[in-house]
Amino acid sequence: MRLLIIEDDAATADYLAKGFSEEGLVVDVARNGKDGLFLALNEPFDVIVTDRMLPGPDGLAILRALRASGIATPVLMLTALGEVDRKVEGLEAGADDYLAKPFAFAELRARVRALARRPAAQAEPTELAVGDLRMDLLRRVVTRGAREVELLPTEFRLLEYMLRHPGQVLTRTMLLEKVWDFSFDPTTNVVDVHVSRLRRKLEAGGEAPMIRTVRGAGYMLSAPAPA
Amino acid sequence: MNPLRSFAPRMALAIAAVVLVTSILGAGWGWLRARDALRQQLDLVLAAEAEGLLRDYETYGLRGLAEAAEIYARRRGPLHVLLQTLDGRAVAGSLPSPPGALRGYTTLPATEAAAPLRALGAILPGGVNLIVASDLTSVDRAAYALAWAPPIAGGLAALLALGLGFLLARGLERRLAGVSTAAQAVMAGDLTRRLPESGRGDEFDRLAATINAMLARIETLVAEVRQVTDDIAHDLRSPLSRLRQRLEAALARAREPEADAAALEETLAELDQVLATFAALLRIARAEAGTGREGFSTIDLSTLVAEVADVYAPAAEEAGRPIATEIAPGQQVTGSAPLLRQALANLLDNALSHGAGPIRVALRPGGILEVSDQGPGIPPEEREKVMRRFYRLDRSRGTPGTGLGLSLAAAVARLHGGRLVLRDGPDGRGLAAVLELPYAAA
Repeated sequence: MRLLIIEDDAATADYLAKGFSEEGLVVDVARNGKDGLFLALNEPFDVIVTDRMLPGPDGLAILRALRASGIATPVLMLTALGEVDRKVEGLEAGADDYLAKPFAFAELRARVRALARRPAAQAEPTELAVGDLRMDLLRRVVTRGAREVELLPTEFRLLEYMLRHPGQVLTRTMLLEKVWDFSFDPTTNVVDVHVSRLRRKLEAGGEAPMIRTVRGAGYMLSAPAPA
Repeated sequence: MNPLRSFAPRMALAIAAVVLVTSILGAGWGWLRARDALRQQLDLVLAAEAEGLLRDYETYGLRGLAEAAEIYARRRGPLHVLLQTLDGRAVAGSLPSPPGALRGYTTLPATEAAAPLRALGAILPGGVNLIVASDLTSVDRAAYALAWAPPIAGGLAALLALGLGFLLARGLERRLAGVSTAAQAVMAGDLTRRLPESGRGDEFDRLAATINAMLARIETLVAEVRQVTDDIAHDLRSPLSRLRQRLEAALARAREPEADAAALEETLAELDQVLATFAALLRIARAEAGTGREGFSTIDLSTLVAEVADVYAPAAEEAGRPIATEIAPGQQVTGSAPLLRQALANLLDNALSHGAGPIRVALRPGGILEVSDQGPGIPPEEREKVMRRFYRLDRSRGTPGTGLGLSLAAAVARLHGGRLVLRDGPDGRGLAAVLELPYAAA
């Protein structure tokens, strides 16, 4: 997988490049908007991570230029703390995800992975399935094997998001943002309780666990290892 | 001060000029009218004189008339009488500039020897021409005298206007200087300074009152900013010093992989707390500055409240604190969904970590959103204070949280043109936090 990082702060750029290289990614780094845009336009990447504030064309300008040239590579935009309300602007310009600095590397890694595995835009599926877990999006019915799993609407949304990103680490922040539209971290531990309830319902028939807790990062849904 | 750069003297000068010009034009017109009127008067006098002389002629004949003319001539008065033949030979009396035979009125222009005259002539039987004339000088002098009155009055008025203007300018200058001095004092940092008011309640006083109200608002804002800065310094210093001590201690210790990892993890957790505080502070600051209002849209508050309550329901149940909802359907407000979501989440976080007993979330018609519990509540005298940044009740110091939740909820309420009210919970127990949002019709 090939990743482009456009970031003018040398320490951050090196840290990210090192982190993603250790993950086995091929990483290119651009230190300003001009080089970043040149690379993004001329080389194929799976994901682009760009700072919003950059010398030369800034993150938004790069994003607009890419989308205008028909390049649909997923873009994650990094922004300074406290500019949450400018998130909309970035998303409207064509960013696929948004992360405020400072962030935990695990958070960025999870989001980059989620973007990279995003399926190419195709017809909206009518069914999602991982292992013996199936979700019928039209009838809004979830089955595990032959057993029907009854879910509350909010649990259904959580499971749908997890089924769309199987085998990927999903952080609490990602779940809060994508499932419930919470752009902040509540003091109350709402995510863990939702996940453990969902987990209980999925394993109520004595089936093998599917949702795994990834320590210090988040959760991952995958088909249970064959026994 | 250059008087011409001041408003009042300029105005006074303009008024004086207008008064002067109109009075001069008026004088010209007045002179013409007065002269005409006086001349008509004179014509009547001449006619009366001529009639008297004709009566003499009828009674005493030509001799009597000649004698009367001689009497006029001897008198050398303003009236002249001349008797002459039709070809201009004088018979009796005199006229400074005889015009030749004359019938009816005429005006004889001034000559070197004589002033201008108004004359009336009559032809008598026997070819005698009687002319009665009067000096026009006195009439013209009277007309001049009459015509000069308005310009003199006008000139005086202009002078008065000028004087008054300069006085007014001095007064204005003095009041403006007071304002200027006060404004400079404010600029120099004395935010308690206010503009002087004369107490007359005039336009200047009203302007000064408005500006003083603005200065008072600025003073409050600056005081708030100072308070916040102090709060930030105080509340971030403690976690940052703890971090520093922890890192220092870990560094001084012998390297042990497990202990080092534990120290680093604790450090990260604490750092995340500091960052969360920062993020909350920035959000409050932005909400209070009014940024984000441009992103307002119509929001279905009923759905939003139900969704947030659903997010919290399982966690609350696990904690043995079930959430009961009572949501009026179809409630809409104009606002920011992310901020309202966060405000409600903060209230629920508070109820869960500081309250006790079951929690009730009620959305009543009119945009009234209430979160109540049956815990220890907040004493009335503390209710204003807990909405301040970082203020925490003594008993809450041990619980997690930034101490900013209520401040943010209050700031969000203000941003939406509403307010956050804290009061006793239902049955007088616990706390009810009420977000009152301006309602945008269902």
